[in-house]
Amino acid sequence: MFKKVLVANRGEIAVRIMRTCREMGIHTVAVHSDVDSRALHVLEADESVLLGEADPIDSYLNITRIISAAEATGADAIHPGYGFLAENPDFAEQCEASGRTFIGPPVRVIRDLGDKTLARRTMESAGVSVIPGTVCPTNDPAKLLREADNIGYPVLVKPVAGGGGKGMRVVSSPEEMQEACLSAGSEAEKAFGNGALYLEKYLKNPRHIEFQILADNHGNVVHLFERECSIQRRHQKIIEETPSPVMTAQLRSAMGNAALSAARVSGYANAGTVEFLLDESGNFYFLEVNTRLQVEHPITEMTTGIDIVRKQIEIASGEPLKIIQDDILQRGHAIECRIYAEDPENNFFPSAGKIALLREPSGPGIRNDSGIYAGVEIPVEYDPILSKLIVTAETRKYTLARMIRALESYVILGIKTIIPFLIDLFKSPQFLEGNICTNFIDHHFKDWGQNMNDADLAGIVYVMEEKTRPNKLSPGKSQTDWPTPWETLGHWKV
Amino acid sequence: MKYQLKIGSETLTLDSSNPGCEQDMQLSINGKEYHVCCNPLSDTHFHLLVNGKATEAFVFSGQNDEKHVCIKGLNFLVLNDKVPLSRVKRKGFEEAPGEITPPMPSVVIRIMVAEGDMVKKGQGLVVLSAMKMETTLVAPTDGKVKRINTFLNAKVAPGDILVEIEGEEVDKK
Repeated sequence: MFKKVLVANRGEIAVRIMRTCREMGIHTVAVHSDVDSRALHVLEADESVLLGEADPIDSYLNITRIISAAEATGADAIHPGYGFLAENPDFAEQCEASGRTFIGPPVRVIRDLGDKTLARRTMESAGVSVIPGTVCPTNDPAKLLREADNIGYPVLVKPVAGGGGKGMRVVSSPEEMQEACLSAGSEAEKAFGNGALYLEKYLKNPRHIEFQILADNHGNVVHLFERECSIQRRHQKIIEETPSPVMTAQLRSAMGNAALSAARVSGYANAGTVEFLLDESGNFYFLEVNTRLQVEHPITEMTTGIDIVRKQIEIASGEPLKIIQDDILQRGHAIECRIYAEDPENNFFPSAGKIALLREPSGPGIRNDSGIYAGVEIPVEYDPILSKLIVTAETRKYTLARMIRALESYVILGIKTIIPFLIDLFKSPQFLEGNICTNFIDHHFKDWGQNMNDADLAGIVYVMEEKTRPNKLSPGKSQTDWPTPWETLGHWKV
Repeated sequence: MKYQLKIGSETLTLDSSNPGCEQDMQLSINGKEYHVCCNPLSDTHFHLLVNGKATEAFVFSGQNDEKHVCIKGLNFLVLNDKVPLSRVKRKGFEEAPGEITPPMPSVVIRIMVAEGDMVKKGQGLVVLSAMKMETTLVAPTDGKVKRINTFLNAKVAPGDILVEIEGEEVDKK
């Protein structure tokens, strides 16, 4: 078993991974940029190494500096988290070359499955149905135009090296292709260092269902059931749940087996996720394999009782998976929502700044994977995910009620978050019915604005705060200034 | 004790007949009556009984007498209408309508128009990159691109006027 693990990431996921390491008695090393010197993941770790400046190129994406940090601290394994270098085969390769274990799938698997068109071809050969699309990556809009004619509009332009919803554009007609390719290509180049694109048929109202897989280095593969990730915005997930409201035992069995086939044919090891799209007729199509731990993994952990990060570490250190498929059961329902630092009333523009006040929800069935604390400064350079709120209860209906209660007691002041938007999403009758698809927000929440029914209450609170403050400070002064002697003098008499 | 407060687009006129003590107060907001018993738990944490209904609230005061209030997961920015708002950021595009400014510190990654171009409302002008997302700033009205004040790879911030549009009268929403 490893003695020391370096977590090559930041924010809530770095904190979460370190917590399991601590429980396993493994020492942790945090790496960080200069703007993250007081970030929660740095505070959580046993030791930390400054990588460089805020730009990810100088820090969290800098392979050389991260490997050096591992060498300097004597870490014998590296966990990449999600995003950043998690699916970068060069990073995994250099990690292994330096004598450390990369906690994830083998380099070859990351490379092969990371090429989305190669992955599609591999799955087709194993009899797993894939979405109609192109199999050759290109950047040539003329080529893509021809392919789009074959597939039929609308099509989805996607980055070959992609993931996390970045660099995707819907193209409904030939006229839109040029701009879509330019835009998608540049976003992909920036996010993944590779701007090559491919096409897929754009399904109208698909449901996004993925299966968590675990495979050890001894040929054992299991799946940990499905997650439905159908509430998305700009192709980024916001809400995920398990089990999927539309899953039947039959469909689960068929898709589960497809996921296991996908894992076996690709020679998979460690944790991963096989993504499918389910169309309105109940047909499912392979989308891609994410060769890493996913953001939404906690909902699977809550309902199966399995610590996926612990399993990742055990598998990476060579231990065999001691669980078999029939032993894995799901209990109850779980929902996760991502708390993004974005302003839902201003086109979800990212909101940076200092967290002035924080009160996280608690109670039965509540799990809050947080990367923040009161007083921390949220930098502009990274993904705006602050924390993940995961809620579990016996049934979907109870879970929804619990999620709403938890969100209503979540206090984050100082920056804008999507909490008010999430509350309305979860309260909507459409969500309660389970009638969801990836276009849910566009269909039902297009021009959302926070309801102002309690504006009067807010006014009352304003006045109460004024009245009850011990020293009334003059306008322009902040609450943390020391009072002047005139304010503290008290009674005196000539 | 009288207050004129602004929350979003609403103006609240708050008046109290017995400003005596916050433990037991009668006040009216835009004519509606409220009986308030307030129990301050800290500078930022309050428990109130408003017309008999219990409410928990969190408050954070800003630089200019504005307060950020959180009640049941919803956040309200409460401004004191009497205080000059020179330093408080208004949300959205309430700058002069023809002046295009970034919503947060970003980098210009594409300029889609040139000086002299005629543009339509909603047409893309400048693409910015921030927090790993690409955002396109669009023309708020039909008009002509009067001036472009930025360049590729420029680091820009709210308040910087990137593009000036000379156009027809804007109908404010």
